[in-house]
Amino acid sequence: MEDLYRNSFEKKLVQWTLRIQKLFIYRVIQRTVLTIFPFVLIGSFAKTFQVVFLGDDGFLGKLMPEINDNVFEQIDDVVSAISNLTIGWVSVIAVFAAAKYTAKYYKRDDQLAGITGSISLLIIAYVYSKRSPLAFHSSVLGVRGLLFAILLGIFIGYIFKLTSKEAKNSKFKAMTSSILNRTFTSMKSISLILLISVIFSDLVNITFYSNLPESVLTSISSTNPSTAPLMELLHTFGFGAYTIIMSFLGWSGPYSAIETSYSDPASLANLSYALTHHTAWGAPNLFNGNTLYHAFATFGGTGATLALLIAILWVSRDNDLLTVSRWSLIPSIFNINSGLMSGIPILFNIVFLIPFFLAPMVNMLIAALALQLHLMPPSVYAVPAGTPGPLIAFLGTNGSWQALIFSLITLTVSVFIYLPFVRIAERVKTIDNLDRDERSAKNEKK
Amino acid sequence: MRRSNIHSKKGFRALIFLFIALILLGIPSYFWTKKSVSTLAGRYNSPLSPIIMIPGSSASANRFDGMISKINKKYDEHHSVLELTVHKNDTITYKGSIRNGDTRPFIVVGFENNDDGYENIKKQAYWFNIAFEALKKRYKFNNFDAFGHSNGGLIWTYYLENYFDDDTIDINRMLTVGTPYNFEEVDNSKRTEMLNDFVKKRDKLPADLSYYSVAGTKGYTDDGIVPIGSVDSGKYIFESVIKHYTLITVTGDTAQHSDMLDNQQVISLFHQYIINDGVNPPNNANKPGKAKN
Repeated sequence: MEDLYRNSFEKKLVQWTLRIQKLFIYRVIQRTVLTIFPFVLIGSFAKTFQVVFLGDDGFLGKLMPEINDNVFEQIDDVVSAISNLTIGWVSVIAVFAAAKYTAKYYKRDDQLAGITGSISLLIIAYVYSKRSPLAFHSSVLGVRGLLFAILLGIFIGYIFKLTSKEAKNSKFKAMTSSILNRTFTSMKSISLILLISVIFSDLVNITFYSNLPESVLTSISSTNPSTAPLMELLHTFGFGAYTIIMSFLGWSGPYSAIETSYSDPASLANLSYALTHHTAWGAPNLFNGNTLYHAFATFGGTGATLALLIAILWVSRDNDLLTVSRWSLIPSIFNINSGLMSGIPILFNIVFLIPFFLAPMVNMLIAALALQLHLMPPSVYAVPAGTPGPLIAFLGTNGSWQALIFSLITLTVSVFIYLPFVRIAERVKTIDNLDRDERSAKNEKK
Repeated sequence: MRRSNIHSKKGFRALIFLFIALILLGIPSYFWTKKSVSTLAGRYNSPLSPIIMIPGSSASANRFDGMISKINKKYDEHHSVLELTVHKNDTITYKGSIRNGDTRPFIVVGFENNDDGYENIKKQAYWFNIAFEALKKRYKFNNFDAFGHSNGGLIWTYYLENYFDDDTIDINRMLTVGTPYNFEEVDNSKRTEMLNDFVKKRDKLPADLSYYSVAGTKGYTDDGIVPIGSVDSGKYIFESVIKHYTLITVTGDTAQHSDMLDNQQVISLFHQYIINDGVNPPNNANKPGKAKN
């Protein structure tokens, strides 16, 4: 067995992962993430189409043929319906899956637990508004709410365990009375959960209107950051790190992978410099979110996942990984990585935590060095939404070849950072499968 | 690299597809960028377009807090608020901040000396100029909207006529509520010194400005403090000098001078004319409904 591993680090990480995978909560999380994959994948295609073709400043918006406004609106509506009710709705599916798995594990009525979970999340996200009935706080329902949804699902499954009796498998042929019986065993749990949800949702609505989360964020992401280069550098690295870690947990940080913000004073100063001097060389702020994070840390989305995709396509022989990667290829080109995040999965997957964090950070470091040594100009111009990651620096500098070369260098470095972890992920999977086979073989013997 | 040679055929094909796609996307976007940068250099509109507000006399920079939270709640928007106070010794203190990515923040400029009277308004316009220059330097915006309550509108007018002569920055629209261009004078024919000064320098006003003046009335004559005739005197200053001058009269429950900032009609007008000012696209960043993943 020893020669299976290339070094002790690889061995340790594999063993550690296998141990964590035995944890019940981790298994629920991973299974849930995989359950939402098909919806996320379809949604990511719709989202890509929306961002790249239909958006006001979409990357290929110029390529859209001139069509009647009405027809355009129709297309836009249909596409956003698909993306809003898949990616934008994914936590409702996740809470269903998580509650179902948990209830099933404790041999409770899993079907009802799942439905109760979905309703409970919807209640929590419900907007108490007289103006628009049946409206929800969409940020709770999308990918951002994923971790919360999974934990809520586990919690609901657990409440079912505590407050309802074991559910016998219902036979499809059985009379309605036995189904009713089943329902009433879970009645207590359902009412209790709905009650908790309503109380919680009232709290959500109070905090939403008091702008509490908003004001906390505002106080950190102040627009008056220090202009000293070192402070600016640390600021950007800090925000980048925070965003990456948050994405790993399904949340989102201050930096978005698709839309870049150019309204902060540092970027505006750069832009006005470049517009007056007709060059990006010598722009005053070298180390802000646009010059480092957006240009070099988001190849294929947060965590430089395009590098992972290339690494998998290059070395992997695992069919699952390959299929997911090929399906996620097109959205990934335009920096939409939700398919990859839930299909591989990367979300909550401790194998990929290290490269997911390390690759973008190393990229930013290389870029910062290159900028400091004046090997390339900083990207100062606004790039359209959905610009492919490796092209952002190139277009943001108005076509500087040095920037393109550095993009390719950093992309290659990221691929090599991801490579060993792809192997580790494969290894973990093989051992896990072997284990399962052995176990089932033993069970058969008994 | 023992295993890297044995890559899968499917994976390899996908990789080739990826690189071809990147090259195919790169070439046209390269030319597109070149072109768009040269148009950008010609006329560039900063995405940040703040709404700058001046409170009336004897009010401080937090005067609009209630109104702002009403707007945020009513329209489901989350505008950030920056409050400046200019002191008598020309220094500025800041409170609050502009959230990153918020393109329509509110900036309120208040004064330590917030007394009434023409002499004080001149001083306050001078202090406002100091604050405005500091803001411009700090946030690099090149267009904004103006809002003034009561004497705040007078400070705006004095500022626009005497200080504002910058080609690099545009004022899109202005809305004032209960601004007494002729102070407490009811009779239009009796012009105060201030109104005379304003009329004299009217040519200095920006020609492309759209201005909405709101007057409140109770009992047909005044809003409890400011006579409608005094607000109406604004026409001698603005009419046919700027692009549009509109006078709007609001009556009813909260049409009293100080209550007007809580008036639903005034809030609707403010949202319609200032926040959705037609120059900038509606601000999606402030809408919680638009998820950004």
